[in-house]
Amino acid sequence: MGLLTILKKMKRKEREMRLLMLGLDNAGKTTIMKKFNGEDVSTISPTLGFNIKTLEHRGFKLNIWDVGGQKSLRSYWRNYFESTDGLVWVVDSADKLRLEDCRRELSALLLEERLAGATLLVFANKQDLPGALSKDAIREALALDDIKTHHWCIIGCSAMTGENLLTGVDWLLDDIAAQIFTAD
Amino acid sequence: MEAVVGAETGSQNRNGEMDVSGAVKIPERLLRREQERQEEVERRREAMESQSVTEEKVDYFSSTFGAERAAIEALLSGVWDADSSRAAQLLEEVSSRTQQLRKFLNDSMAFLTKYECRQAQAALQRLQSSLDEKRQQVLPKKKFNFKARSAAATRTKGVPLPEKAGPLESKPDAKGGADVGIQVVDGGGNSCGFSSAHAQVLTKDPEDIHQRDVLLTHLTGCTVKLLGTPATLHIKDVRDSEVLCGPVSGSVFVDRCSGCTLAFPCQQLRTHNTTDTRVYLHVTSRAIVEDCSGVSFAPFSWSYEGMDAHFEASGLDRGKNNWDKVDDFNWLAADTPSPNWSIIPEAERRTTWD
Ligand SMILES: Nc1nc2c(ncn2[C@@H]2O[C@H](COP(=O)(O)OP(=O)(O)OP(=O)(O)O)[C@@H](O)[C@H]2O)c(=O)[nH]1
Ligand SMILES: [Mg+2]
Repeated sequence: MGLLTILKKMKRKEREMRLLMLGLDNAGKTTIMKKFNGEDVSTISPTLGFNIKTLEHRGFKLNIWDVGGQKSLRSYWRNYFESTDGLVWVVDSADKLRLEDCRRELSALLLEERLAGATLLVFANKQDLPGALSKDAIREALALDDIKTHHWCIIGCSAMTGENLLTGVDWLLDDIAAQIFTAD
Repeated sequence: MEAVVGAETGSQNRNGEMDVSGAVKIPERLLRREQERQEEVERRREAMESQSVTEEKVDYFSSTFGAERAAIEALLSGVWDADSSRAAQLLEEVSSRTQQLRKFLNDSMAFLTKYECRQAQAALQRLQSSLDEKRQQVLPKKKFNFKARSAAATRTKGVPLPEKAGPLESKPDAKGGADVGIQVVDGGGNSCGFSSAHAQVLTKDPEDIHQRDVLLTHLTGCTVKLLGTPATLHIKDVRDSEVLCGPVSGSVFVDRCSGCTLAFPCQQLRTHNTTDTRVYLHVTSRAIVEDCSGVSFAPFSWSYEGMDAHFEASGLDRGKNNWDKVDDFNWLAADTPSPNWSIIPEAERRTTWD
């Protein structure tokens, strides 16, 4: 039995999942995490380092890692890759001028060996803004349809209103759980 | 959301530290990074004490800086003869090398004299200006739709807007292309703001910007007044201009600006690649700078008719202003202040605005 299978079995027993939230600075990662957990989002500062939150949802124990996205921090993202079950890529849908940066960073991540087994959820965030691009426009700009290496899904959401955060996380959990069971 | 909050039991929140086995590497790495930075600072201090080492470092700085600057200038002058896709590529390279050069200067400031710093900053400034100029000359200008708006919805103070300073509307058929300055992506999303204007007075009324995402790009020598409460504000490639804005509910994102005076209340301020700029700020969480130099801060002091109600509507806490707590993402040494930003001395603060 390979190490991976053993790890996967252990996780299934404990029903524990590790989610890694990444994306450009200002995308809304920390706001999503706090809103999902029902916390105040008005006092959030740009993340200098990372936040980790452990919470229970649908009987799963979720370890959510939220790492700062400023340029000077991106080279440290790799330190958080290990044993990630789900990658949550957060996009500021109204930031049209940085979509190319956003695409480049995501496609580099998908080449990472240590993220090879992870399911990808893309949150097209800030849908409450009138200037936000639709999730289909984001899907095209990030060339998501070219991804063959990972299970993925894009969901339009707003961390401000909370719209669709639950839908996204539930999809992610279902996909990860399905993979764990089929790995047996 | 209710369902989540209800279902979740016993959440715990640890900020920046980790005690779970198997992941102990992480804080260690962060610690090591911090330690390395502090060692670097220490090393610089020692270098300062030893004059000969300092001279060596200054020599190294001057020759490296000079050589790189010359190389960038040479690249820039090649832009003329290139076709447009090659030109875009060259401009991209010039832009990224200029940024690296700025970083090099930032990293070297500790051992340079004030005079040397200023000289180098001025040189960078000139590079940036010629880059911006070249960009405007060489690259096809984006066309912006001129949306017909009722007279009631628009009130333009001062000079009427010429064609180029129209509200920013992304044309559905305009795709990114070779324009490295502005990338327009189709798929809906109506933006709001001003773009490509020179020496204009530009004003937006409350109803034009209320809870919208506002974008200001490629402005030089302009005065911009946004008399309302945007949800978020982006200021990009703006030079020698004044931008005054009402309470912004979310973040303000400033990128590649120079020689500006900015004033606004907001929840977060994120400043990048910006030089020689004064910010009169009310920020309820935090302001940060990254790859900046010569950015200075003072408390927000502009006001306009109706601002009190706008503060209320924005949801910002008026009693909480962290204008002087600025995080520099290129300067994590806690014991020495960042050389890249400063506080405007009280005597030098602007008191009149109109
Ligand atoms: N209107 C709107 N604003 C949002 C939304 N999500 C986040 N924001 C705002 O966007 C800004 C950035 O949010 P953060 O959560 O700090 O972004 P981040 O991705 O964690 O940024 P880093 O920590 O720098 O990587 C804040 O001012 C938020 O209030 C959203 O869905 N709608
Ligand atoms: Mg954050």
